[in-house]
Amino acid sequence: MKKIGIGLLCGLLLLMVTTGCWNRRELNTLAIQLGTGIDKVGNQYRLSVQVVNPGQVAAGYNSATMRSPVTLYAATAPTLFEAFRKLTTLSPRKVYGAHIRVLILGESLAREGVDKVLDLLSRDAENRTDFYIMIARRNTAENTLKVLTLLEKIPSNKLYSSLDASSHAWAPTTAFTLDQLISQLVTEGLNPVLTGVQIQGDPRIGETPKNVEEIEPATRLVLSDLAVFHKARMIGWLNEQESRGYNLIMNNVKSTAASLTCPGGGKLTVEVLRNNTKIKGHVEDGEPSINIHIKTEANIAEVNCEIDLDNPVTIKKVEEQMKDTAFELMEKSVEAAQNRYKTDIFGFGQAIFRSNPKYWDQVSERWTEKFVRLKVNYSGVCLIRRSGTTGNTFLKDIKR
Amino acid sequence: MDGLVNSESLHDFIIQPLISLRNIEISPLLQSRRDTLTFLSEEVLCAGEIEIVQDRDAQLTNLLSGQSVILVPGYTESLRINVSGVEERSVTEPLTQTVVRGPMEAFTENFQRNVALIRRKIKDPNLWVDARRIGTVTRTKVALMYISSIASDKVVDEVRRRLDRIQIDGILESGYIEEFIQDRTYTPFPTVYNSERPDVIAAGLLEGKVAILVDGTPFVLLVPALFIHFFQSPEDYAQRFDISTLIRLLRYISFFITLFAPSLYIAVTTFHQEMLPTNLLINLAAQREGVPFPAFIEALLMEITYEILREAGIRMPRTVGQAVSIVGTLVIGQAAVQAGIISAVMVIIVSITAISSYVMPSGSMSISVRMLRFLFMGLAASLGIFGIFAGILGLLFHLCKLRSFGVPYMTPLAPFISQDQKDTLFRYPWPRMKTRPALIGDKNKIRQKPDQ
Repeated sequence: MKKIGIGLLCGLLLLMVTTGCWNRRELNTLAIQLGTGIDKVGNQYRLSVQVVNPGQVAAGYNSATMRSPVTLYAATAPTLFEAFRKLTTLSPRKVYGAHIRVLILGESLAREGVDKVLDLLSRDAENRTDFYIMIARRNTAENTLKVLTLLEKIPSNKLYSSLDASSHAWAPTTAFTLDQLISQLVTEGLNPVLTGVQIQGDPRIGETPKNVEEIEPATRLVLSDLAVFHKARMIGWLNEQESRGYNLIMNNVKSTAASLTCPGGGKLTVEVLRNNTKIKGHVEDGEPSINIHIKTEANIAEVNCEIDLDNPVTIKKVEEQMKDTAFELMEKSVEAAQNRYKTDIFGFGQAIFRSNPKYWDQVSERWTEKFVRLKVNYSGVCLIRRSGTTGNTFLKDIKR
Repeated sequence: MDGLVNSESLHDFIIQPLISLRNIEISPLLQSRRDTLTFLSEEVLCAGEIEIVQDRDAQLTNLLSGQSVILVPGYTESLRINVSGVEERSVTEPLTQTVVRGPMEAFTENFQRNVALIRRKIKDPNLWVDARRIGTVTRTKVALMYISSIASDKVVDEVRRRLDRIQIDGILESGYIEEFIQDRTYTPFPTVYNSERPDVIAAGLLEGKVAILVDGTPFVLLVPALFIHFFQSPEDYAQRFDISTLIRLLRYISFFITLFAPSLYIAVTTFHQEMLPTNLLINLAAQREGVPFPAFIEALLMEITYEILREAGIRMPRTVGQAVSIVGTLVIGQAAVQAGIISAVMVIIVSITAISSYVMPSGSMSISVRMLRFLFMGLAASLGIFGIFAGILGLLFHLCKLRSFGVPYMTPLAPFISQDQKDTLFRYPWPRMKTRPALIGDKNKIRQKPDQ
């Protein structure tokens, strides 16, 4: 008994000694990094990190003097890790990376290839890999991280939540985290896309507190369309329609709005509730083809034309039109990938591989040329479920 | 013995009959009897409890316990008459283990009355009292109480053996006995249950446990005591089963809060910042801006301040109580935070820890948790969550090794006894609790007729 007691005591004393070293970090010794931007300057990487200033952000700690809720540290070095360490010459605290919300890559860096910068972020034990990755469109990542935002005080948080929200409710955007991007990069017969972020307005005003003092900020960050990659290199942008088609094909649409033209002119908008897309690859006589099957359920959301919704025949017509619109979107998107960029962003190669691995082995080397001439067939079912809280619109009853 | 004797009954039942003897001729009466002592005890004295005692030493003890002794010249034996009567505190409401619904009486310092309080609840000839005196100087009355048709012989014999082993000059409180008879001396956990509520003791006896009453204290011991017993409140059985189950769940949650809240806070904020949601992290970081101490020192300071306040609150005279509590709350709650020495979250953590520790119905378990909390804080500060889990593992080993009078301490969780789960985490409705806990009342397992 005595021996155990002495042992315990020694253990406790040893514990006291270990306090204060090893991995221990107090919260107020950390610079919490929420956004990371990477650009290429010549042969070197320019790393910019957006660090939160907790006292300005947390509720109940608003001091009278308005200071920026975040600060930006930037360093240039031949490798990223060096750049991260070099930041300590600027920052009073060690930059802590577990809470990165967004990683922004400069467009010029993306055009040279994103693969090399991802290794550090996926290798480092401190980082979590659940942040979103975006491309700074027509700008550097550093400038993008400098724009102050209203409502969400932390710009990185703003980007994170608006991408999160719009990827759920708006078809043209899509959110990819680091691990998803890496798995896209290493999957055969599939090329990644990433959402772009754009500075709207004058970047220099965006840096100043003036930007968040107005109802309508002069400069703001807007999520834009999708950047298309070939392997790790970015080669161009899809426009909104094509982005929409891309997400439809990739089964990324959770909910969105789609507008249709009424038979008698005018617009009718449906709210897509559920969508399910299946891609199947086929090989016939040595020629590959792809079948895309969609199943969409929607509600009627807005009627701006005279249409008789009580009539099942009209509903059938609307459904048909929805289907046609969807096909058209997908065709546009596929066409852009086949003709304009010549890159398989849809994973059609992957679908062919799944249906006929032997054939894939033969063509995998020259898949791009096969992809450009690939025949894509569309089929699908669209269903209108409900028409909202009214039946027919009151528009036609308005006294003229 | 002045002060120990009820002078009224001494006068009425002993002195008055003896004086009246002078007025009548006693010799013929005496001659018809074998001896004076028998004559006195059977014909003259009208007290209820009269006994002829041979042993001089025993008689001395009786005298010192407030009984009257009559010595008759020419006899080695003497008479003992029980007319003892000390000024006693009357039965009051219990100060610990208070309930909203349930009996409102508590034991007192009087041994006989305590036995009577239990007997009033259990009117069974099998309720046995086995009394003895312990303490060479104090000669304190200590009694085992059990229901012989239910309690396990093994446990009863074991308790008896352990009590007889005690050699000490004095027993002033049941705590003395508790430390002598517990299975392991060096453990933070109580392996003997104590209560000042007769209904709790009676319920224990009905489950087959053994009660140990000590003269001079309202706290009665109950063995074997298992881990789960310290989470059961007498009110659980007076309330409906559904709310009882939920409240019991709340008690287990508070047990974990009071044991781990400060250590988890330390571990998460100094080692595992990645585990917090980003916004919470920023909020915590803002509060810690400018706090000069590491989280561990901060927590230690606050916990020790709280313990000081608590201890002072118990000991200080009632009249200064208010002044001290105002200073205490101001120091802890407001000034420390405003001065920037302590972060506001830490005050919240310490408060929730302190409040949770009072949710446990038994004070002895919250005391052991209080001690362990500091151990866990040290582990968290040096090794983070890894340290906490290493500590939990060690604690579980220790708990599983503990026994209370031969019954594993973690019964019915480890060893798992499915049948006893009805009164562990849950409190089943009474009609569903048909059997007594296994391993304790093993003589008679069935509490209810099976078909109802």
